Order: sequence, then C-alpha cells, then structure tokens
Amino acid sequence: MSLFLQIIVNGILLGGLYSLMALGLALVWGVLNIVNLSHGAFIMLGAYASYYFFTLLHLDPFAALPLCMLTVFALGFLLQRYVLNLIVRGPMFNTLLITFGIDVVLTYLAQIVFSADFRVVNPSYAGANFTMFGATLPLVRALAFAMAIALTLAVWLILGHTRIGRAVRACAQNLVAARLYGVEPRTVYALTFGMGAALAGAAGDLYGVVSQINPYIGDPLTAKSFAISIIGGLENPLGVVVGGLFLGILESLTSLYVGSTYTDVASFGVLVLVLITRPKGLLGRTT
Amino acid sequence: MRRVGSIVFVAVVLALLLLPWLATPALIQFGTTTLLLATLAQSWNIIGGYAGYASFGNSVFYGIGGYGTAIAMVQFGLPFGIGILLGAVLAMFFALLLGLPVLRLRGHYFAIATLALAEAMTGIVSNLDIAGRNIGLVLPLRKGDAFFYELSLGLLALATLTVFWISRSRFGFGLIAIREDEDAAGVMGVNTTLYKALAFLLAGFFSALAGGIHAYWITFIDPVSAFDITLNVMMIIMAIFGGAGTIFGPLVGAVLLSSISEVLATEITGMASLFFGLVIVVAVVFMPRGLADLLRRLPGLGWRYFRENLWLHRL
Repeated sequence: MSLFLQIIVNGILLGGLYSLMALGLALVWGVLNIVNLSHGAFIMLGAYASYYFFTLLHLDPFAALPLCMLTVFALGFLLQRYVLNLIVRGPMFNTLLITFGIDVVLTYLAQIVFSADFRVVNPSYAGANFTMFGATLPLVRALAFAMAIALTLAVWLILGHTRIGRAVRACAQNLVAARLYGVEPRTVYALTFGMGAALAGAAGDLYGVVSQINPYIGDPLTAKSFAISIIGGLENPLGVVVGGLFLGILESLTSLYVGSTYTDVASFGVLVLVLITRPKGLLGRTT
Repeated sequence: MRRVGSIVFVAVVLALLLLPWLATPALIQFGTTTLLLATLAQSWNIIGGYAGYASFGNSVFYGIGGYGTAIAMVQFGLPFGIGILLGAVLAMFFALLLGLPVLRLRGHYFAIATLALAEAMTGIVSNLDIAGRNIGLVLPLRKGDAFFYELSLGLLALATLTVFWISRSRFGFGLIAIREDEDAAGVMGVNTTLYKALAFLLAGFFSALAGGIHAYWITFIDPVSAFDITLNVMMIIMAIFGGAGTIFGPLVGAVLLSSISEVLATEITGMASLFFGLVIVVAVVFMPRGLADLLRRLPGLGWRYFRENLWLHRL
C-alpha cells in the first residue's frame, strides 16, 4: 500500500511539471491556432539558460526562474512578431512546417553552441528528501511541483482578470471583433506566443533541476505536451493541469505494474482513445 | 512545346533506368534513398495532398512494411517477394483498423492522433519477441545496389501512376472535394468515410512497400528508426516543398531537398541540419504553395510573386 502511495505521489510530482510544460503549448494552440512543434526546443533553451545562470553566475535555479522565463519570452516574442505573424493565417500545414523548421534550427544551434554533452544543474540541496503522509518526497521535485502549480494559477489569473488577458481571449474568440475594440493583434499574438515560450522556459528551468539536459530533449517533450493538451482540453488552464497529473500518474503506474518500456504505449494509447471518444478533452463539454 | 516536354520526360526516365550502369556506387545509393523518400512523399501526397489530411502516421506503415518483411524472412524463412507482400497486407490491415476511428478527426486533431500512433507503435514493437524487441532484426544479405535501385524506381513509378490515375478519376475528385470542404462533399454524395479510408489504405500500401525494400537493402531494422517521426516530417516537407496535391510536385521536392541536404552534409558537416531548418522556414514564408505553384506563376510575376506570398497570410 505504501508503495502504491509512493507511486501516486511520484506521479503527481511528475504531473505538475508536465502540466507546466504543456500549458504554454495549449495557450498558443488555443489562442493562435498554431501547434508549436518548437515548444520542446524552448523548454530545452530554458534548461540551458538555467544551467548557465547556475554555473557562470552561481544563481540558484529557483531564483533564476524569472530570468529563464524572460530569456525565452524574448525569443518567442521576436519569433512571432517578425516571422510567425507572416504566415499565421495560412493553412495548418504551413504553421506546422515552419515551427518544425524553427525546432530544427534551435536544436542544431544548441548543439553547435552548447555541445551535445549532458549537463546537470546540481544545487547543494539536490539530494534532500522529506517525508509526508508516509511517502518520501525529493525536495527539488516537490519545489518544482509547487512552482509549476503556482505558475499555472498565475496564468489562469492573468487570462481571466487582467486587461492583457482579456485582449488575448478576445483574439482567440473573434479576431475581427477584437480589432474593432482596439486590440492590436500583432502585438497580442507576439505577447501570447512569448507567454507560451516563457512557460516553456520555466518548465525547462525546473526540468534542468530534476533531470539531465542535452540539445535533443525537446522533441519527446513536445510530443508529451501535445498529449497533455489534448487529454486536458484547450479550453482552460485547469484542464491542462488535470491532463498533466493524469499523464504523470498513468506513467508512474504503468512503469510499476506493466513495465517501464510500456509508458509511451500507455500515454499515447490513452491520447488516441481520448481523441476518439472525447475530442474536447476529459473536462471539455461534449456537444 | 508539348513534344519537347515528352522528349525530356522520356530522356529523364531512360537516364534514371540506366543510372546503375553509369554512376558510382555512392551515387546509386544516394539515388535509392532519394527514390524511396520520393515514394514516401508521393504516398503521403495521396492522403495529405489530395484528401487534405495531415497524416503524421505514414511512418507507421513504413515501419510495419519493414517489420513484416523482416519477420517473414528471418522468423519464417520466406523469400523477399512474399515477405514484402505480407508486410504490405499487414500495413493495409492496420490502415483500415486505425483509419476508421482516426479519420473521423479533423485538422490538428487528426495530425496529433496519427503522431501518437507512431509513438505508441515504437513502444509496442520494442516489446514484441517476434520483432526482436528493442534490438531489432538482422535480415539476410543480398549484394547488388542496382537491384534495390531498380526496385525502388519501379515502386516510385507505380506510386506516381497511381497518383496520376487519382488526379483524373472520380475517386480523386472526391478526395479533392473532401479537402476543400468535407461537409459539402458529403452533401454532394461523396462517400467521405470510404474515400478517406481508401486514400489512407493506398498511402499505407506504398509506404509499406518502401519500408520493406529499405529494410532488405539496409539488412537491419530496429523500432526507433523504423517508426521515426522525422521520416514522416521529411515526407511532408518534401511533398509540400514540391507542391502537395500535384502529380510531380512531391518527386521534385524529394529530389531537390535530398540533393540540398546531401550537398550540405558533405560541404559543411554539422551545420547541414541547421541550414535544412532554415530552408524550411524560408520556403514556408516565401513559397507557401510549393515549387509547382512557383514555376507556374513566377515567369509572369517575377519578384512580385514573393511579395504577394509575404502579404498573403500575414496578420
């Protein structure tokens, strides 16, 4: 029983990070209708930013979180403002292809600049644990989980209760009407994409603390973020949290009871099932 | 003009047929790879270009074709000809089985579902004993690159003829109608479910044959490379770069992009993939409808063509 509890706790901790990873992708997808295949590359860049803040400036990865977010935000903002805005109203293929191209460029730039070696962000408290409800929690994973949930809530508040959040939602609902009410979509799109990138940067920073970094970590993370966005649905950030936790727990359970080689089969199998039976996500309204 | 065109066409076909007796081994190998990629791009063209369904799952059929061939030859000692047919039949069976539920989804959702199928397939096959788990299978060796080259050329010709037939048949018009507006197509009496399933089936058939040839040629198959998503993205890029929904677009795209990445890989190793990514980004921005459209309209428009494209889809 305590093993089962431990597995569930591990899954929840993993799921918190997953939710943060997927949140940026879901935001961009829901508002801009762009499925950003370079999302994983943004996560990778966030992880490297955290690594360099840590090794060169001796900044704690949790303290460097805003800086990582800002770095990747800037990249995302500029990409959307000057490249993606050019094709954003084009057919779906083209947005998929161009973000794939960006993904390739970022991945191989990272390989050239950062080299393909594995990196770890290793603060002094990396090995610390604490016990809660009879389960052992690694400190960094628990902190990462708390940060992920806090950021998710922040996004929910920003989208729901601020001027810029209302502008973003207006663009998602009806671009023409938003324009008539004085929203400048070029900037709002760039801000939204930047926000998605910043969330990826935050996820990357936290990913760097709990796992190893190399230039190729992006693609599987993009695929996972997809799965979570679909399972949770694109309608609100809380759905993504549900999707992330669901996937985290599912993967933990699968690796214990079926075998760790089956985790991908389970997560993507569930994704296909959800798509076919509940295309609006687990929490989405069925029509 | 028409006569010149057909003379050039015959010359190109002859040159392609005779290539193994004229070229260096390296060029024959490059040719075989390009022909297989062109076949994949052409088979994606059926479901993606004509029916407008952005399938990221064609590499599933490629992998199944390869594995079907490998299992038949290694585990049951069957000859290659029967093995590859078994692989193709298996892939068509999967195309129907997976296609009927998945083809109900539209747009991004279809793309993601097929992507997930490819990911799940890697996991399933790396747990199958008969497929050699995650180590893979080693196929019997057959010497002679010319054999594989001619086989690939034949397969590409077959795929292209099929697309040619599609482009002027009732079936093809049905697919185009589905691409333009699926609901309207249904109302006009197109059996959309049947047409989509058939297109998926055809795409699966040709991808599987390409996978079988590739596995036997390389004499090795493993789950990660057999169900590689990058391969699927490659075929999409090639088809769209050349012009999706045209007969020769995917072929031209495959040949051009393969040549570019081959030259880049030999000239500037390490930077090749970087430039490949840049080519994709620039191509999507400046020629979003592919080379076929570029060739048709560039002579009349000149630089204005690129400027128009720049303004076409911007916010």
